[in-house]
Amino acid sequence: MTEARPLLDAVGIRPEPAFDDANARQLQFFTNFDHISIIRVRSFDVATFVAFGAAQLGVAGNDVLSEFDYPEIYAPLDLGIGKCRLCIAQSADLGEDLDLSKLSHVRIATKYPETTSKYFAAQGIQAECVKLNGAMELAPKLGLTPRIVDLVSTGKTLKENGLIEVATIADVSSRLVVNRTALKVRSVEINSWIEKFRSAVDASMA
Amino acid sequence: MSETVSPTLLPEGLRDVLPPDAAIEAALVERLAASFEANGYDRVSPPLVEFENTLLAGMGAATADRIFRMVDPVSQRTLGLRADVTAQIARIASTRLQTEQRPLRLMYAGQVMRVKGRQLRPERQFTQVGFELIGPDSVAADLEAIVIATEGLVSLGIAHITVDMALPPLVPAILATQKFEASHLDDLLLALDHKDVAEIRSLAGPLVDVLTALIEATGPIKNARERLAEIKLPSVAAVQLETLFTVADQVKDQSPDLSLTLDLVENRGLQYHTGVTFFLFAKGSRREIGRGGRYEIDHDEGRTEPATGATLFMDGLLSVSTKQELSVCVYIPFGTDRKTIVDLQAEGYRTKVSLSDGNDIFKEAGRLGCSHVLAEGSVQRVIKEGKAT
Repeated sequence: MTEARPLLDAVGIRPEPAFDDANARQLQFFTNFDHISIIRVRSFDVATFVAFGAAQLGVAGNDVLSEFDYPEIYAPLDLGIGKCRLCIAQSADLGEDLDLSKLSHVRIATKYPETTSKYFAAQGIQAECVKLNGAMELAPKLGLTPRIVDLVSTGKTLKENGLIEVATIADVSSRLVVNRTALKVRSVEINSWIEKFRSAVDASMA
Repeated sequence: MSETVSPTLLPEGLRDVLPPDAAIEAALVERLAASFEANGYDRVSPPLVEFENTLLAGMGAATADRIFRMVDPVSQRTLGLRADVTAQIARIASTRLQTEQRPLRLMYAGQVMRVKGRQLRPERQFTQVGFELIGPDSVAADLEAIVIATEGLVSLGIAHITVDMALPPLVPAILATQKFEASHLDDLLLALDHKDVAEIRSLAGPLVDVLTALIEATGPIKNARERLAEIKLPSVAAVQLETLFTVADQVKDQSPDLSLTLDLVENRGLQYHTGVTFFLFAKGSRREIGRGGRYEIDHDEGRTEPATGATLFMDGLLSVSTKQELSVCVYIPFGTDRKTIVDLQAEGYRTKVSLSDGNDIFKEAGRLGCSHVLAEGSVQRVIKEGKAT
């Protein structure tokens, strides 16, 4: 959020003041454009709002995009923010390496059952995913599952909970996402916003 | 484990269509069919179910993971329930109507079923109305497919139509110039489907420039042309792209109100298209309302025949077409002679006849959803308190 905010300035979208108030309970914010408003939803819901065309543009990490794999979402631009990685971590007593050679089945606590199952299926292993919505790191400690798949940015939380990062499933960053129908039906306008975001990202990287 | 199932529950993706929606949809289907027939397309009506091997032959193979299958108790062979009609029309064109003169123009209206709905179309059963133009492989034929499909939409009162043009063979032709491992190629195709430029940059190797140029060319077709002039394409693809632009120019000439866009990495739906392809959108619709394009029909001995056509999805059209008013329904008092009723129907009224005498016909009309009554020999409008105006 703090990383995405400057991009709005750079493309000339000015949300109403409540948008910057962390305590505001408001969910939808007007902007300096009559026909543009901004909604604030959980990262997993961004993909859903955009897929169904309830929002035309959105900012979501590729972790969320690959989990849902909505065919109606395009991700034409990497915003280069919100960088982290989707990792497998295990309790220290399983060792420092992810040795899957003898396994036909693993139990994993994760917020990303689809992505996790696909990753293990590709290696011929059936993943039994225990869906959690937070506090993944507790799962190995309390014997729920020996391994977890979760987003990691610094690795500090993992360490504090006695977990070792053993493999990276994907590098994650925030993407500008677009609803497919909106891109077709309002192609001039949507494309011009993509262009503006692209220039803003290029400028911030330079 | 005594889980009682409510008697009103239907299987996922299936629904009862009730009045007035059922009549409205039927009227739209007929109007669309009439618009295709007016252009010289002859109606055919293949069966809902046929042998699996004929249903999936040739281009039908693209529907293999979408069809319901069952065993025919008579022949003991596997039957398939159609998920698409185009492949059936192709079968007819290559068999029973093989010797008919070309160009062969056929149209159809019918229901299809799919084993799985999608997020944006949870329906597993819906109506398709479409046409196929079989024989010629030419700009004129590609043009006719787009023009007739969009005129059909206009005849339903749909405005602000976008034709999104695509060229499905283009990306495979570009990818074939490099050697990729199968799994790597799958990842790349997925990234292209999502127009995920970051992924494409990391996966496409020497093709990065060409593929990102294709994605940047997505949008209004006139901008696309300039963007694509700079990149080098495999020669077959370059020729096909030139055809697409020629078709686009002519569509613009004939139907200046259409908004034309281009999406060269679009590759979804039935994977049988071999040339200029298009998706139809309308303002207010969350998903495409139709699609069409060029394909090849398999004949005997490996011979193929070019064809093009379009299919419109009635479930998507209902929400964007202008509301159809059903004709006025007149409540007829008990004992009215039949000739009077038939005459009213000939004038375009619908009638509901009272089955018993002695009721307040204005009240009864209101109760049964009739806006008018036949009273004192004339059709009168019912207003709320049971009085005539």
